[in-house]
Amino acid sequence: MTSIALGKYVPYDTWVHRLDARTKLFATILLMVAVFLPMPTWSMTLLFQGALLVIISILLACTKTPLSWILSSLKMLWIMVIFLLVVYIVVPKSENVLGIAWSVNGWTVYWDSFAEAARIVARLVMMIMIGTALTSSTKPLDLTYALEWYFTPLKVIHFPAAEVAMTISIALRFIPTLLEDTMRVMRAQASRGVDFQHGGLFRRIAGLTSLIIPLFVSSLTRSQELGDAMECRCYDPREKRTRYRLFHFRAADFVIAFFAAAILVGVAVTSGLHLDFFSMMGVTTL
Amino acid sequence: MSIRFEDVTYVYNPKTPEPVEALHNISLEIEEGSFTALIGRTGCGKSTLVQHLNALLHPTSGTVFIDTFVNASQKKKRDKKLKPLREKVGLVFQFPEYQLFEETIEKDVAFGPKNFGDSDEVALEKAHEALQLVGLDESFYKRSPFEISGGEKRRVALAGVLAMKPKYLVVDEPTAGLDPLGAKKLMELFTKIHEAGSTIILVTHDMDLVLGYCTDVFVLDHGKVALKGKPNDLFGQDVSRFSLQTPAIFDFAFRLEKAGYKIDKNKLNRVEDLAKAIVEGRR
Ligand SMILES: Nc1ncnc2c1ncn2[C@@H]1O[C@H](COP(=O)(O)OP(=O)(O)OP(=O)(O)O)[C@@H](O)[C@H]1O
Ligand SMILES: [Mg+2]
Repeated sequence: MTSIALGKYVPYDTWVHRLDARTKLFATILLMVAVFLPMPTWSMTLLFQGALLVIISILLACTKTPLSWILSSLKMLWIMVIFLLVVYIVVPKSENVLGIAWSVNGWTVYWDSFAEAARIVARLVMMIMIGTALTSSTKPLDLTYALEWYFTPLKVIHFPAAEVAMTISIALRFIPTLLEDTMRVMRAQASRGVDFQHGGLFRRIAGLTSLIIPLFVSSLTRSQELGDAMECRCYDPREKRTRYRLFHFRAADFVIAFFAAAILVGVAVTSGLHLDFFSMMGVTTL
Repeated sequence: MSIRFEDVTYVYNPKTPEPVEALHNISLEIEEGSFTALIGRTGCGKSTLVQHLNALLHPTSGTVFIDTFVNASQKKKRDKKLKPLREKVGLVFQFPEYQLFEETIEKDVAFGPKNFGDSDEVALEKAHEALQLVGLDESFYKRSPFEISGGEKRRVALAGVLAMKPKYLVVDEPTAGLDPLGAKKLMELFTKIHEAGSTIILVTHDMDLVLGYCTDVFVLDHGKVALKGKPNDLFGQDVSRFSLQTPAIFDFAFRLEKAGYKIDKNKLNRVEDLAKAIVEGRR
């Protein structure tokens, strides 16, 4: 009930944790793009996605994120898998190279549909893994700082980088508080006989109202209080701000950024030029 | 019939880099019919312990017996049906005012009884009764629970649990933030409920209340039971090492004893007792 794994920071001290948040954000985005670039043939897809999966798994293992977290987020994916399969099977594709899976009364289903669904699921899994590696090794506030740093050039076009960063960091800051509030109200209502897990629909809706309304009320009170407190300390979004914690790039940051860039460039060139390593080596594949 | 903790340990955030052991091998028994106080410094585990009483938390190891109900860790055999337990053990949280949600106060108080199967009319009747008990009259029934003061909210939330007529009433720091007279009235209300046959478990930082109203007391320290006994015995010794304060009456009595008075501390619970003891001591 209390474990909401996705996006939770785990305070270990690994080399991934020590990397600069800006580097990690940079590398994460590059890797995510690399995961989503299409490959010319199925065998090339298998090769590249496999290689990326290995790299990402190593990264994730380095952050010491418990494997159970990933597995529990994957549990939610199976509905998605079924949905995708249905869509791909119902909507036929023009190109089918993998052959016919079955053909009943003129209804033909190709293996391509399954491969397509598998590819999307593989991409999603890798996205989740990369995202988890980032959030479990980086404090949310450091992440906002990284965002702000990347937004800074946009100040030229009057983009409110500092305000956006402040909004995001407040939102992030309050996620645990809100979770805690939720647990507290849930326990209080459970003590008054609410059963959030069992019972008929009507009962459960009534139970949910008893949870949601107090949460709304306390969030509104909290935001009012926070606003007042910030005003009392003369917070002015237009002022120039300094930082208590300063960030510095180190050698490791450059190495990682370089690696991420190299991976993306490699994948992008292969994808863009429709290179097929297998046919280059004289092997015909699908 | 009683509440019994057997070797109960509770760990927050187990299997993370920073587990917090809030309870450590706790064994204790709360007698049925007692008015038991749980005291100890901030963060010693009182609120955690109390949440085991109606199975909001399950022990990491060890077992809690509440009458015939068994609350144990996930792995062990424990009772699955929680509703009868929650009806029997009414738990009023620290700062319960956050749990209010209905349009009117009477509906909010009636929410508990309705969850336990009462019809709307019976639930409302119980709600009115409970609201009267906590000192809120008819004029409050139809008001919104969000448009009253903090202390009044606290009383509404308390009424919400009282309306369920629990056999065990557990209250976590109910008097914090109330005006002195309101706090006194609340304690008198608990005494009345106690005399009517319920068992009361009170978490508090106010030692005068412990001495004045409770029959038994447990001192927790760093997740362990440090001391237990009758309030009058407990405060005879130095309790400052548990970050507790000697009640004002006992403090006064100690000084009188130093000045040569003879005072029987076994019957010293309220100011009236002290006054009597002084008068008798002079004769
Ligand atoms: N949700 C939680 N997650 C992690 N640790 C917690 C959590 N709740 C409480 N703790 C820790 O468990 C210990 C006991 O907390 P508990 O709330 O039971 O104390 P308490 O005796 O009720 O204190 P107080 O007098 O301030 O109410 C504390 O050290 C606290 O930091
Ligand atoms: Mg507490």
